[in-house]
Amino acid sequence: VAKLRRIKGLAPEKGLRPNARRILAVRIDEVYAYDPHIRDPANVIELHDMRIACKRLRYLMEIFGVAFSADLDPFVDRVTILQDILGDIHDCDVQVPMLEEHLASLAGPTALGDQRVGVQALIDRRRSEREQFYERFLAEWRHMKLGRFRQRLEAALGVKR
Amino acid sequence: VAKAWDVPGLGPTSKFRDAAGRVILTRWFEMMSRRDATLRGDDHEDLHAMRVSSRRLRAAMDAFEGTFPKKSFRPFVRQVKEITSVLGASRDLDVAIVRLTALAPTMADEARPGVDGLVARYRDARAAETGSIAELFDRLDRDHFERRLVAYVTKHTGVRMDRFDPGPRSGRAR
Repeated sequence: VAKLRRIKGLAPEKGLRPNARRILAVRIDEVYAYDPHIRDPANVIELHDMRIACKRLRYLMEIFGVAFSADLDPFVDRVTILQDILGDIHDCDVQVPMLEEHLASLAGPTALGDQRVGVQALIDRRRSEREQFYERFLAEWRHMKLGRFRQRLEAALGVKR
Repeated sequence: VAKAWDVPGLGPTSKFRDAAGRVILTRWFEMMSRRDATLRGDDHEDLHAMRVSSRRLRAAMDAFEGTFPKKSFRPFVRQVKEITSVLGASRDLDVAIVRLTALAPTMADEARPGVDGLVARYRDARAAETGSIAELFDRLDRDHFERRLVAYVTKHTGVRMDRFDPGPRSGRAR
């Protein structure tokens, strides 16, 4: 899992807002750092790490939302959508090898039927769903970038780049 | 999923240190309020809600880690991670069982034995996980984890439980 970048210059005695702004600026940066790596659907680790980065950003926006006058809920919703799609991709990436392992462990037909047929069908289904989820993710990411999501979020937080 | 509890006394002018105490303690008690229902296991949504609360707590600990001495804070973070992880193992199985059970009638007859076999396998694994959750919470009790966490957070943030009353709706700063 991607390591958290250390936040410099936090001042616990000061207000919630300046500290939250500092933390969120770094976590936004962490999400966007995956941009060059996600064009290849085979980059399973990067896609998973981006999901974790989205999750962290989302929870932080929920926690720190109270500190800002701008409504962060629409930004939280958008990151949640992205995180959910990446979660669906990750589920497929985890389940397919597990199902393959299970398939390999199954014996041939028994009195109850041949379990291998159903497990193979599930593997095929998950592979196909993975492709669909990945296309949906790319479309969502493109939409966010075209909509200047990052710039709007940073403006709402008062982050200066 | 149940809504997160409001954090009593948290506002735009809060100090970071004070906010740390309020948010972490609220999320802890929010999570633990779901313990009994989770252990009863009547509805798998209870476990889901508890897991979501545990993730909110973890996120709060990540958000405010700058408030606490790194070395002494780490064991508390590690313990909460373990709670999330143990609950997560059960949740993953619950989701898989529900999903496969819904999927089974839509699949060809020859595929059914394989799907039914997997559901049976996941149900066995899920039954074993219930014991792990109970063991974990027994250990937390034996270790007085809640008492230690509250004392630690109070020491480093100044937020005291006798002046603070987190709850599902009526939580207010006192």
